[in-house]
Amino acid sequence: MSINKQNVRNFCIVAHIDHGKSTLADRLMEKTGQVSERDMEEQLLDSMDLEKERGITIKLTPVRMFYKAKNGEEYIFNLIDTPGHVDFTYEVSRSLKACEGAILIVDATQGVQAQTLANAYLAIDNDLEIMPVINKMDLASARPDEVAEEVEEILGVEAKTAPRISAKTGLNVEDVLEQIIEKIPAPKGDEKAPLKALIFDSYYDNFKGVICFVRIMDGEVKIGTRIKTFMSDKQFDVTEVGVFSPKMQPKDSLVAGEVGYIAASIKSIEDTAVGDTITDALNPAKEALPGYKKALPMVFSGVFPLDGSKYNDLKDALLKLKLNDAALSIEPDNSAALGFGFRCGFLGLLHMDVIQERIEREFDLEIITTAPSVSYKVYKTDGTELVIENPTHLPPVTEIDYMEEPIIKASILTPPEFVGPIMELCQYKRGIYKDLVYLDKSRVELKYILPLNEIIYDFFDSLKSRTKGYASFDYEVTGYQRSDLVKMDMLLNGDICDALSIIVHKDKAYERGRQIAEKLKEVIPRQMFEIPIQAAVGGKIIARETVKAFRKDVLAKCYGGDVTRKKKLLEKQKEGKKKMRSIGTVEIPSEAFISILKTDNDR
Amino acid sequence: MAGLYIHVPFCKQKCTYCDFASFPKEIGKVESYFACLYREIEGRSKQYKDTVIDTVYIGGGTPSVVESKFIMGALRQVRKCFKVKDDAEITIELNPGTVDEGKIKDYKSVGINRFSIGLQTGFDDQLKRLNRIHTAKDFLLCTNLLKGENISADILIGLHDQTAAQVEKTIDLAIAGGVSHLSVYALTPEVGTPIYTDYLNGELLSEDETADIYEHVVKYLKGKGFNRYEVSNFALDGAYSRHNMNYWKRGEYIGVGVSASSFMENRRFTNTFKIDEYINAVIYNKSPEISSDMIEGDDAKFEFIMLALRTADGLDTAEYNKIFNEDFDNEYSESLRKKAQFLERNGDKIKIKDQYLYVQNDIILEFMK
Repeated sequence: MSINKQNVRNFCIVAHIDHGKSTLADRLMEKTGQVSERDMEEQLLDSMDLEKERGITIKLTPVRMFYKAKNGEEYIFNLIDTPGHVDFTYEVSRSLKACEGAILIVDATQGVQAQTLANAYLAIDNDLEIMPVINKMDLASARPDEVAEEVEEILGVEAKTAPRISAKTGLNVEDVLEQIIEKIPAPKGDEKAPLKALIFDSYYDNFKGVICFVRIMDGEVKIGTRIKTFMSDKQFDVTEVGVFSPKMQPKDSLVAGEVGYIAASIKSIEDTAVGDTITDALNPAKEALPGYKKALPMVFSGVFPLDGSKYNDLKDALLKLKLNDAALSIEPDNSAALGFGFRCGFLGLLHMDVIQERIEREFDLEIITTAPSVSYKVYKTDGTELVIENPTHLPPVTEIDYMEEPIIKASILTPPEFVGPIMELCQYKRGIYKDLVYLDKSRVELKYILPLNEIIYDFFDSLKSRTKGYASFDYEVTGYQRSDLVKMDMLLNGDICDALSIIVHKDKAYERGRQIAEKLKEVIPRQMFEIPIQAAVGGKIIARETVKAFRKDVLAKCYGGDVTRKKKLLEKQKEGKKKMRSIGTVEIPSEAFISILKTDNDR
Repeated sequence: MAGLYIHVPFCKQKCTYCDFASFPKEIGKVESYFACLYREIEGRSKQYKDTVIDTVYIGGGTPSVVESKFIMGALRQVRKCFKVKDDAEITIELNPGTVDEGKIKDYKSVGINRFSIGLQTGFDDQLKRLNRIHTAKDFLLCTNLLKGENISADILIGLHDQTAAQVEKTIDLAIAGGVSHLSVYALTPEVGTPIYTDYLNGELLSEDETADIYEHVVKYLKGKGFNRYEVSNFALDGAYSRHNMNYWKRGEYIGVGVSASSFMENRRFTNTFKIDEYINAVIYNKSPEISSDMIEGDDAKFEFIMLALRTADGLDTAEYNKIFNEDFDNEYSESLRKKAQFLERNGDKIKIKDQYLYVQNDIILEFMK
């Protein structure tokens, strides 16, 4: 089947968090009759429970809409949703690649924010036409003229004609639909050329195998086409192609310019990496589409079953999640303190949080997670090089020549009055000041180079509390940098607890050691004997706290009527103990492992 | 052989820490309550035929708040329905504010030979704060009436701003009153009692402060010849409570009246906590029980261990082996190894070391399967 490319528009919506991306998407679907108002589930695109709760998009869902324009012609709109979080920058860039234009939503009350900026630049980098839309006109505090000016000044994008809408009430949403036709170019591409299909997302279906979400750049794909990707040698026969409306709707073929899905009984999501190009195995394109990058986990954390006997259940859960998440890395891990578990790699903190929550919620497993770490490069004195993702794997100091840690380029947008506190925070986090730009009278962009390892602790929280929530933050990992790092161990009653070891900058070891020891003192319950908590670097004790022995742990009265009550009480105590881990003779609650994260640096 | 507990759910007014089944406003129901109590005694005696009663304990509430004829009636009924051993220990709890010469005479006339007085503290301001109805002086008036008798007193520790010196003085007062037995309880603030609010507001002593006082008490009483034979119980030689020892040996007992618990033929059961419900049940020949559990297997074993380890004597492994047809040392080798530093072995006996008796839950838990 042939389509008129002139009447196709492929676009995405980008915005800062909470500026109304999902609401506008819902409204567009409603206005094009894709979903009846009555059936409409709030924010249709975000289907995962977690996404709904957090108001963020993690998995991408494209939607195909039909729109009868005022000029009388019928258009096909393919809306490709993008994740709105910094952890998923690469995924965003791949979805952008599948589009010709991007609707940039800006909140009429808040104006340009860090992610507005980051996403807009990303769209511009990908040669997308930017179509600004000013949202939340229903709010009394809306200041559309100023915001339009901001967009023009800061982003250099024409915004005078930007539709001023309320996605919530539906105000002026038609203008958006009309402007899509007017401003966003129709797709190009040659239907007769060899197949080039960009994979911008994929998920695993139990019956059909991997479903690849694709944008056909050139050529055509239909049932029976023998396909292959550029990154894998495997070949597959296509079993189904189709479009999203928003449910999957099979079609005979997909041609250049279209957005849809391909199923080909593909068993592993690893064979269909996001950013890879699908081509016709019998008539292959000469080269892949540019820009493919392997998703690299940046943040690592130990994940252990609370109940050691649930190891296999945890393994199954992780493998199932991995089916749909090529960015999640899993390696077996074994801790003296926590037993058998896994070392998992994540794109960032949010990704980590989401995975951990899904394990608990969707698989009903209680887990213990250790404080997140980043991956360090270790250069040994014998000339070899190691990548360490788990502090316990760090070789002895004597074998280490030097180490490198990942660094990020951070952009912080803030009202000018908070520049001082933010600079103080960045300084404290070992940041290197790069630039300060006044975007307008009310907004400053601060640029810093920061070690990633400082961000994964409590940077977000501290930033929020220091700026009353006004600052927004975005970052990208830029590389590695040599740094004076040490491994710090925590000793409980003289025994090292491997799950609590961290790698920390030498100048910060003393302070963090003291903070963690204090925190552990709070969370470790008193026991039969006094428990010294020590922080040690290279065998030298740098901080010490003590959990005093408890003095009273007995039922004062135990007579005829108290036996049953006392038994119940002890049973409850026993239940509580099951959630504890033994480090030598010391029992510590599972929260302790993550609580060391929550040391308050502002104190 | 079994113990018999009789519950008297009446008192003049509730103490601020009390969460027992005791109802000052229901005192009008005394007659019907005791009528039912007699009937339950008869019923239980038929249910557990040929049971020989070794100890009787009349507790409450305040048993001494009701006219002595009811207490006498109850004991006559017990003797009528059960075989009571000649040397049976028969205890009654007294509130110093409710006794007189006549009552004591009546009690003695039906064979009551042990008197447990609720003193709590020797300081009137503290007594008042606890909503007790008596003064320290009332205690001595009471013990005066009991000269030469087997007397015990209850003392509370952990009260508002209480000091070790105050507890010492309270103990001195009790000893001056001629007690041969003392129960020293750490105040346990129960949800729903007025004192729980004080606890929430941090007005009571902390657990550490209470433990300090407790340790002081143990030493102080030892100096006075009172040995700790159970976590909260101290006695001169031979003056321990036989009735209570039976609980810790996991012996059988029958409890009659509101809220009373029994343990007979491996079954633990408890009566209703409401007077009206109790009276109704008994009148209509229905069971006043609200819970009943057969205790078997590991559950029974754990009870035996948990109760025995409360005592200074500890657990007799030979007895355990005989009762459960097991080898204790083999069965609990892992637990014994793990908690070795807190335990003391003497022949067949295993006990918690003196200094750890007050932190025993953690040790006992190790024996729970």
